[in-house]
Amino acid sequence: MAADFTTSNPNPLLLLCLYAVYICISTSISLSALVVDAQKTLGLVSEHKSTSSQLKDSLVYLWPLPTEYTFGNGTLSVDPDLSLAVGGNGGNSAIVRDAFDRYRAIIFKQSSSKLRKRMMNSHISKVRVIVHSDIEELQLGTDESYSLIVAKSDDRSIIAEATIEANSVFGALRGLETFSQLCTYDYETKSIQIYNAPWYIRDRPRFAFRGLLLDTSRHYYPVDVIKQIIESMSYAKLNVLHWHIIDEESFPLEIPTYPKLWKGAYSKWERYTIEDADEIVNFAKRRGINVMAEVDVPGHAESWGAGYPDLWPSASCREPLDVAKNFTFDLISGILTDMRKIFPFELFHLGGDEVHTDCWTSTPHVQQWLRDHNMTAKDAYQYFVLRAQQLAISKNWTPVNWEETFNAFPTKLNPQTVVHNWLGGGVCPKAVGQGFRCIFSNQGFWYLDHLDVQWDGVYNADPLEGITDASEQQLVLGGEVCMWGEMADPSVVQQTIWPRAAAAAERLWSKKEAISTRNINITALPRLQYFRCLLTRRGYSVGILETVIFPVRGAFLATCPQENNLNAKSS
Amino acid sequence: MYNCISPGNVNNFVFFPSPSLSLSHTHVVIVIAINLHYPIGHCFCSSCVQEVKTITSLQISEFKLCDGEAGVSYGHQVLYMSKDFGLRTEGSKYPDASGILKDGFSRLLYVIQAPHVADGTISHFQQSLVLQGIHVLISSPNEKLEYGIDESYKLSIASSGAPVYAHLEAQTVYGALHGLQTFSQLCHFNFTTRVIEVRQAPWEISDQPRFPYRGLLIDTSRHYQPLPVIKKVVDSMAYAKLNVLHWHIVDSQSFPLEIPSYPKLWNGAYSISERYTMADAAEVVSYAQRQGINVLAEIDVPGHALSWGPGYPTLWPSKDCQQPLDVSNEFTFQVIDGILSDFSKVFKFKFVHLGGDEVNTSCWETTPHVRNWLQKHSMNASEAYAYFVLRAQKIALSHGYEIVNWEETFNNFGNKLSRKTVVHNWLGSGVVERVVAAGLRCIVSNQDKWYLDHLDTTWPDFYSNEPLANITNPKQQELVLGGEVCMWGEHIDGSDIEQTIWPRAAAAAERLWTPYEKLAKDPKQVTGRLARFRCLLNQRGVAAAPLALPGRGAPLEPGSCYMQ
Repeated sequence: MAADFTTSNPNPLLLLCLYAVYICISTSISLSALVVDAQKTLGLVSEHKSTSSQLKDSLVYLWPLPTEYTFGNGTLSVDPDLSLAVGGNGGNSAIVRDAFDRYRAIIFKQSSSKLRKRMMNSHISKVRVIVHSDIEELQLGTDESYSLIVAKSDDRSIIAEATIEANSVFGALRGLETFSQLCTYDYETKSIQIYNAPWYIRDRPRFAFRGLLLDTSRHYYPVDVIKQIIESMSYAKLNVLHWHIIDEESFPLEIPTYPKLWKGAYSKWERYTIEDADEIVNFAKRRGINVMAEVDVPGHAESWGAGYPDLWPSASCREPLDVAKNFTFDLISGILTDMRKIFPFELFHLGGDEVHTDCWTSTPHVQQWLRDHNMTAKDAYQYFVLRAQQLAISKNWTPVNWEETFNAFPTKLNPQTVVHNWLGGGVCPKAVGQGFRCIFSNQGFWYLDHLDVQWDGVYNADPLEGITDASEQQLVLGGEVCMWGEMADPSVVQQTIWPRAAAAAERLWSKKEAISTRNINITALPRLQYFRCLLTRRGYSVGILETVIFPVRGAFLATCPQENNLNAKSS
Repeated sequence: MYNCISPGNVNNFVFFPSPSLSLSHTHVVIVIAINLHYPIGHCFCSSCVQEVKTITSLQISEFKLCDGEAGVSYGHQVLYMSKDFGLRTEGSKYPDASGILKDGFSRLLYVIQAPHVADGTISHFQQSLVLQGIHVLISSPNEKLEYGIDESYKLSIASSGAPVYAHLEAQTVYGALHGLQTFSQLCHFNFTTRVIEVRQAPWEISDQPRFPYRGLLIDTSRHYQPLPVIKKVVDSMAYAKLNVLHWHIVDSQSFPLEIPSYPKLWNGAYSISERYTMADAAEVVSYAQRQGINVLAEIDVPGHALSWGPGYPTLWPSKDCQQPLDVSNEFTFQVIDGILSDFSKVFKFKFVHLGGDEVNTSCWETTPHVRNWLQKHSMNASEAYAYFVLRAQKIALSHGYEIVNWEETFNNFGNKLSRKTVVHNWLGSGVVERVVAAGLRCIVSNQDKWYLDHLDTTWPDFYSNEPLANITNPKQQELVLGGEVCMWGEHIDGSDIEQTIWPRAAAAAERLWTPYEKLAKDPKQVTGRLARFRCLLNQRGVAAAPLALPGRGAPLEPGSCYMQ
């Protein structure tokens, strides 16, 4: 039980509060009964009880953990003909309807379609979704809060309903995800059940930016694979796909203004048209996920030169992009103009990391240009980044840059800049100390290509580490786990992302106090294992969770969930 | 950069598995194509069949494939797929009452359209070059997926017409489904026009499988595989024209399936949620059957059945000695009878697999009541093993099944086995010859070549494994039903099953499908095509692993899918 109503919500629901108080009182009386029931929820009935299993039994198997929740000890069955009822100005949205259809398929996918109707239990035949606003623009900070009530309509009724209320359609999507996680297939009755009803949940994210980076330059990911990843992100309530589209290895995206750029693709078949990119953005939006595009300049851009060799300082020294040519900036401007048409998210990532300026200082014409402009190579790096920032700002974008730009010339960066941490700890505190906004991706914890980082390392990292001032905390937008693609391709990307990205997702969504206390091997690990199996049931490849020995995406003989082995139970 | 990539540049001749006969353009036979690092095959014209050319141009698309009399150049005729690309069935004798063909067509559209947004304008192409749809003619109204059913098809695509349709003829709907798979591999997205194209028309493809049994084993006892994962495996099998899902349901570790006659059996599941209801099993069977794939269910008795005991402990010789199943207890055979009776309602395939491998009889010899029983029946342990297997066989026969047993049964008492037995090879080579010489049928799965859990076995090993090796007598050859690759589950689960199966299973799939004469003598010759098929699987959302590494390795460095 973690009922907590001390925090304020901009739109308090009187009914919810009244019910919640009632439930709080009634459930605290019957806590021991509740624990037993919580076990039943997940088939965790266990013969032997230690302190830790007691704790485990009272866990709420929702991932990420909602902000506020209470539950009871009833059981409701879900009608196989579950239908949608809508209300509010935004209820009629196609986004809501499509999402409901998706989640209905997920809820009833766990087993075959031939579900029996059960009339003995109170049952839920309707999900009511009330959305107050009909604005469907998805941006940084879009209201994702929602409340979810799953309860009988009154004590004597056998009719029950699930009600989701949200300010925006995107909040409603989060509510539907939570609802789907409450639904469990019961093998005895062959029906979908919701245990521990009634449920009263009020939820909203801790951070506005909860990202996953995908790198389509080192390996190409087919559109279908990207969509699968986006879909799985929505299960963990992540909300930004940071699309590291281009790097030195390949340039897979079409840029209509400079059509030779995608000559830098690995092959004819490993390319994205602008329409493909648009499709990905729309697919993501319908799941409440923003796409933050990146062009990483000037250091990670060798592949641009396959189409336009002038962008290289010389044919033999190809990186960074030639700072001495106006054509370089014309081209960046063209890319940004084309991208602006399909990437509506207000943040745009300009990279700026790992810039080795040797090519500039060793190529005669660039050398000459540096002399003419009285610049050192380091000055030129700053000049390049700031000029690219101006281009992005002129197209109504807020620039995001990797932390090296901040580390090298913090006072020169545009004050709108969002600093993207990666090298190590302590950077976000410095950045927000100077009034910049920051995204946390400390590579020691949140780089998914670091296979030696275990789930608990991911889980324990906190974007607000070292930041105590409340107004400075506000400047931390959130964080992002990074799936760099050097050694990941479509055959292994999913199990390298999951389950560790889910650990970060809870860190970014749930209240710190609710998930940082006590031993996470007891409070979080069983729940994460359950979420891992939920992903598997939904058809995803999810790596193994193991705290000590095994590499993250290794495999060994193991049962899927942390559920009780029936062998033990029956003997 | 892509100009210098070779394998993918071999445009259309990249079917996997390779069809029996493909003709592109009248009088011109193009068996298969080309490439640089990995010559894929040969090219020859009707007038120059003996002349085998190896093409070494970087720009295959500009290269004249064959300079025969016809003077046909490669890439001459391109058809453009209509936005309303449709299915026609006039004249077909198959009514498609249950929508098998219709669903197959929907899947076809999905896999063709998933890779890119094809929103190019069709209207400015010549109407006579717009492919309006596919016309499917099926001769048999029957949709029962019998073992050995006719899976052949003929696919022809004219180079123009008014309007132009692809024509697909097949005896059965399942042959037609294979034809649709082949058609899907002919479709290419054009990045310039944003239209899906079929190149090198006209096409004439005549195709049929070499072996009637082309299997893949999955093991849901060592790790539970959720229904969506199994369905995804089935989808991917269909892409490679495999046709038997051997479902090794139960083993020592867990008993995940509901058995209504003995409802406590699935107490042996790993957990409450890691179970299949009978309705789930029926769903798997029906899902697979609708893609032309039979499900071969297995219970592996008596040696791999420890998990039966949590529900019914008397099946164990004793609490401390739990395997093999108690041969002395009549109840053991009642349970087997109950299971097979329940099976027969759901698993409609002609065969059931009864296992019979790795039987260590020491529990029988050390447990007093079993030892007494052996003495009473004057049997030694190995005779009891034969007794058990043969009795289980009789039960299966009584439920209308023919039987598959692992090879140990044949190795130990081959002459006693029912003549309806199919011997399933796994230990190694040499067995198949002995089995067919004894007049029994055989399935090839020698572990050194076709066990997918052996991560050190590479795809060329899979490709080169010839089921008919050393069998020259045509009558004996007929007794080899085919082969099966085995995805044992000790070290795989839902997180890595796909990349452990693919691409290696595809190499075996070609061995089992394509006529012997058309198979590459050196597997290196298929590298380009197989790499391409692997990338196609990726495009369709299947996590097929890079070819360059053994087993299911993750890529070691950045690079193109086609080069890894």
